[in-house]
Amino acid sequence: MVEIVFLAPLIAGFLVFFMPKSLGRQLLVGTGAVHLLLSLILWQTKPSALLGEYFAVTPEGMLSLLVISLLFFLISIYTVSYLKESNLQSETMFTGFMLLFLSTMTMVTLSDHLMVLWIAIEATTLASAPLIYTYRSSASLEATWKYVIICSVGIAMALLGSVFITLSMDVAGLDSALSFSALTQVAEKMDPLWLKVGFVFILVGYGTKMGLAPMHTWLPDAHSEAPSPASALLSGVLLNCAYLGIFKINKIMHAAGLADFSGTILMVFGLMSILAAATFILKQNEYKRMLAYSSIENMGIIAFGTGIGGIGIYGAVICMIHHSLIKSSLFLSSGNILLGYGNRLIENTGDMVKRMPKTFVAFFSGFAGIAGFPPLGIFIGELFIIVGAFRAGHYLFAGIFIFTLCVIFAGFANQVMKMSFNSSSEQAGEFKEKASMVWPQYILLLTSLVLCFFMPDTLYQTIVDAVTAIGGGLK
Amino acid sequence: MILHPVDTLLSLVLLSILFSYGAGRVPILIKLLAFQGIVVSLVPLFTGHDMEGGSTVFTIITLAIRGIIIPLSIHLAIKKVAIQRELSAIVGYKASIICGLVLIVAATAISSHLNLAAVSNFRLLFPAAISLLVTGMFLLMARRNAIAMVIGYIMMENGIYLMGSTFSVRARHIVEFGILLDVLAGVMIMAIILQNIKQTFDDVDTAHLRTLKE
Repeated sequence: MVEIVFLAPLIAGFLVFFMPKSLGRQLLVGTGAVHLLLSLILWQTKPSALLGEYFAVTPEGMLSLLVISLLFFLISIYTVSYLKESNLQSETMFTGFMLLFLSTMTMVTLSDHLMVLWIAIEATTLASAPLIYTYRSSASLEATWKYVIICSVGIAMALLGSVFITLSMDVAGLDSALSFSALTQVAEKMDPLWLKVGFVFILVGYGTKMGLAPMHTWLPDAHSEAPSPASALLSGVLLNCAYLGIFKINKIMHAAGLADFSGTILMVFGLMSILAAATFILKQNEYKRMLAYSSIENMGIIAFGTGIGGIGIYGAVICMIHHSLIKSSLFLSSGNILLGYGNRLIENTGDMVKRMPKTFVAFFSGFAGIAGFPPLGIFIGELFIIVGAFRAGHYLFAGIFIFTLCVIFAGFANQVMKMSFNSSSEQAGEFKEKASMVWPQYILLLTSLVLCFFMPDTLYQTIVDAVTAIGGGLK
Repeated sequence: MILHPVDTLLSLVLLSILFSYGAGRVPILIKLLAFQGIVVSLVPLFTGHDMEGGSTVFTIITLAIRGIIIPLSIHLAIKKVAIQRELSAIVGYKASIICGLVLIVAATAISSHLNLAAVSNFRLLFPAAISLLVTGMFLLMARRNAIAMVIGYIMMENGIYLMGSTFSVRARHIVEFGILLDVLAGVMIMAIILQNIKQTFDDVDTAHLRTLKE
């Protein structure tokens, strides 16, 4: 029974609302562990769903699910210590909505139905909005408002796009179920005009949620105002969920023989996002916002790679996995920095190497990973994408791509150097780095590092299965 | 030529759309919204291809949520915090009404060029759906008021529902119900944030929400 993977955190989430704080924390970690176990079982056995019309185990879904599950488990361990340090007023709300958020994201990965996918993605917005408002400040209120309005309107566009896709079946006189597997089979006969219109609307809709420019404006605010564990979840897994929606639609486009059309649009949106991130990262003065812009950059890279096709899609999926692992570790480290310095501005931090050596190791190696130092994961992914771009003959796009990556690298490095080695301006209180607040980051980074050199066969096979469906592969 | 009852209903919706361009006060907008919600949930009953018990029950639930619960919850949210009821507009009302007229004419013109089964039976269906959608977006952008933004969002959703429920019969009730629940929960969350905005800034003018940039 596939559905239990998202029902378990759903029930646990509602239970937490009625529990005392300490019990809630235990349930958070416990549910994380159970969820990871269930996901692993699902990965091994690949059972069919009870509601087969709506849910299914797909390779691309399993990839995202495993990443979500691993990340959530590690983040939940960190969260427990973070909550002890930060004394939130509304802690049960926070833990409860973390679990509901996990449930809705799991539902996204397992849904195999055009409309159910929409329902699940909209539900992730609703479950995560209270997380952003945790600090109850006027700035976090503004961030939440922006997040809810922009994402709701964006996702309404995706709903309209889904309606257009059903319309494209109507016009062609087809009668098929609305599951992605069924749609992919009949894609060739669907009316191409309405299918294209539907794709554009869905790309704009889920692209809003994924943080593609110019619809990205909610992302830096939400990521910087949310508590760090929530930011780690938002950046590490929520963006992937939205990408999964685009991936699935792209599958239909590929089957319909419209991959050129969808690819070009994806490439343009991807490049715009990378360019937007480059302009804002250079003069950024808050470290959490800097990380958020880096997420926009990486989502742009992933969209660009998906648009190129062939080996580029493989690169995009590699980038997606490594980005999740590394970026969530960076956000967790930023939580330590916030607790240690009590400030979000880069200029008020400094001398991290002496004051928080363990966090420094995690933060700096995370930076090396995300900026694309060879031979780490993101670098490999980007290399595949660049090779793909040259093979497909997109020389201009590839040139812009490489140039902006260099700009972002320089800007990012500059800020991280300031944080790590500049002398700190003010003497903040001593911050003790607890083991449970650095080990999750180490494990995340180590996983990413291991995956660069050794990829288990089953993982490799799943990635290849996922990307061949939209015309990707290592050839 | 006799108009189909659906077209009569939809012509009223088009009229209400024009009104909402000119509405300068929040309570009027809420009433218009409730009316549109009711019509939008009734239309599928007339265009429906199958008239089973299930779809009647579903229509009643949709009617209750779109026509009553959602407008009521916004009404309550406003009442609770005693928000000033005048809207401040970025685009003036007269200009707005002209925009609305142009929009309706354009939507009707486009609709006559589309070769869709549902559109040829009910001539006002497509213009009404598109107009609702665009009007919602217009309210989102052209009114500097957080409540008007929520109302705009719901209007958009009504337009999409009108399109989805009549153009295609595939999205069946369970799924539509899920979508409805999502929208409802979204509006509830927006209403809660509205109250918090009012408490924090003592106003719902979105000009206050400009501190986070870059």
